[in-house]
Amino acid sequence: MVSLDLLLNALAAGLLLGGFYAAVSLGISMAFGLLDIVNIAHPVFVILGSYAAYIMNARFGFDPILTGVLFTPVFYVLGVVLYRIYYASFERKGAESLRGLVFFFGVLFIVEVSLLLAFGVDYRMVEARYIGESIHIGPVGLAYRLLVPFVVGVMLTGALYWFLARTFYGRAVQAVAQDAFALRLMGANPFKVKSIAFGLAIATAALAGALLIMIGPVEPALNREYIGRVFAVAVLGGMGSISGTLVAALLLGVAESLTATFSGPSWSVAVSFAVLLLALAVRPAGLFGR
Amino acid sequence: MVGSRLVLRDVEAGYGAVRVLHGVSIDVNEGETVVLLGTNGNGKSTLIKCIMGIVRPERGEIALERDGERIDLIGRAPEDMVHLGITLVPEGRRLFPKLTVEENLMLGAFRAAARRDIAKNLDLCFEAFPVLRSRRRQLAGSMSGGEQQMLAIGRALMSTPAILLVDEPSVGLAPLLVSRVITTIRDLKERYHLTVLMAEQNFNQAVKIADRGYVIVHGQIAFEGRTEDLTEHELVKKYYLGL
Repeated sequence: MVSLDLLLNALAAGLLLGGFYAAVSLGISMAFGLLDIVNIAHPVFVILGSYAAYIMNARFGFDPILTGVLFTPVFYVLGVVLYRIYYASFERKGAESLRGLVFFFGVLFIVEVSLLLAFGVDYRMVEARYIGESIHIGPVGLAYRLLVPFVVGVMLTGALYWFLARTFYGRAVQAVAQDAFALRLMGANPFKVKSIAFGLAIATAALAGALLIMIGPVEPALNREYIGRVFAVAVLGGMGSISGTLVAALLLGVAESLTATFSGPSWSVAVSFAVLLLALAVRPAGLFGR
Repeated sequence: MVGSRLVLRDVEAGYGAVRVLHGVSIDVNEGETVVLLGTNGNGKSTLIKCIMGIVRPERGEIALERDGERIDLIGRAPEDMVHLGITLVPEGRRLFPKLTVEENLMLGAFRAAARRDIAKNLDLCFEAFPVLRSRRRQLAGSMSGGEQQMLAIGRALMSTPAILLVDEPSVGLAPLLVSRVITTIRDLKERYHLTVLMAEQNFNQAVKIADRGYVIVHGQIAFEGRTEDLTEHELVKKYYLGL
């Protein structure tokens, strides 16, 4: 007999987790869906964001969210530099698809191995006063270590949505992969537009990483576990759709949470791949794909 | 609208070893509609591309004269032309198919100088092309060819252009739609005092709106004159009217 309390708690935890998944997946949805950049290294930048939060917390006692916000511009610059290297080496020569994939695979390994060499294989975590506490609404308990990532993740999604839908550069980002030449006829420089967009995509990883290490301990190879998940979210939501990413992330969060509660946590990783396969089979364009 | 004039002198241009334009000189004065006539492969589009900075001429001058100031256009990128007030409605329309009509129009207003005119320009577009208002939430790629051409012109108008370049607006459109698009360009020009340079191979439609015309044959200006002279000219009769 399934208890109602258990179900409600699993649903609530799943929704909170979903908000966090949105934060992790936004960057990949933007890069793949809007920029045609096959950045499979995105999850490793999230891990990098986690280590930034860890260092600032261990050394100076910074709150992880504060670190995430402070490192957002740093990651933005990192993204712009990375895009310029990618552009000069591959995109300009029209060799982006397969070689680009190899390039980002290489970036993934370099960052991961660098983290391994610097910090070892130990799990790292952050400390903040509110982590470990929770609020209760009726029978449902909401842990702050999930509630804070949820709120920040939803806010990040909202900010990115606003940028893409309401600003001139945001609209140019939506157009650049469709017809870069036509964009020049509108007075926008496609290279600059893509630099900004890729910078922002990587910048989201700074905050997402801070959220990740708040939810649980982090080690350098953890990004592998997230690759399947972020792809499931991005594909299900419709590559390039920000609102779709949020809805898909919430769905996946709930699906994982219910599976973990009623079938055991070891099954929850399988859920994302099942969702990914199902989405590809039934609706490859995703829920909100254009 | 700023008083702008386009001056081309002895422009020579081509692609690699193939020379397409052999010393072309034309003027487009403020408030004028000038049509560039010629059949396929004579260099109309290349000339438009030279003005827009898409093809770089090997020789000659292309300049924008604005408020007594002369701005050399050769060597500038297409995006710079937009900021100078020269906007192109490209051949084949080049809309953003997966964006809505409204999003396409808003991208037309990317030019910094046009952003404060957005509300005014949107009204202008919807007034000129009422179908765009009713389809504003529809994806551009799902519209008919004629509607797409209207959107392409509307999108160009969103940049508050001082000079509007239109490359082959009639290609791929049914005759009735060609007539409608041409008539709308005339209305826009009369009401908003636009300066227009249009490349077109449909002679009968083009002369309906032109003040002046140039006939371009094998990369050279074979004839220039006022519209009424054009229809009388032997060359035109031979090439276009089949007389």
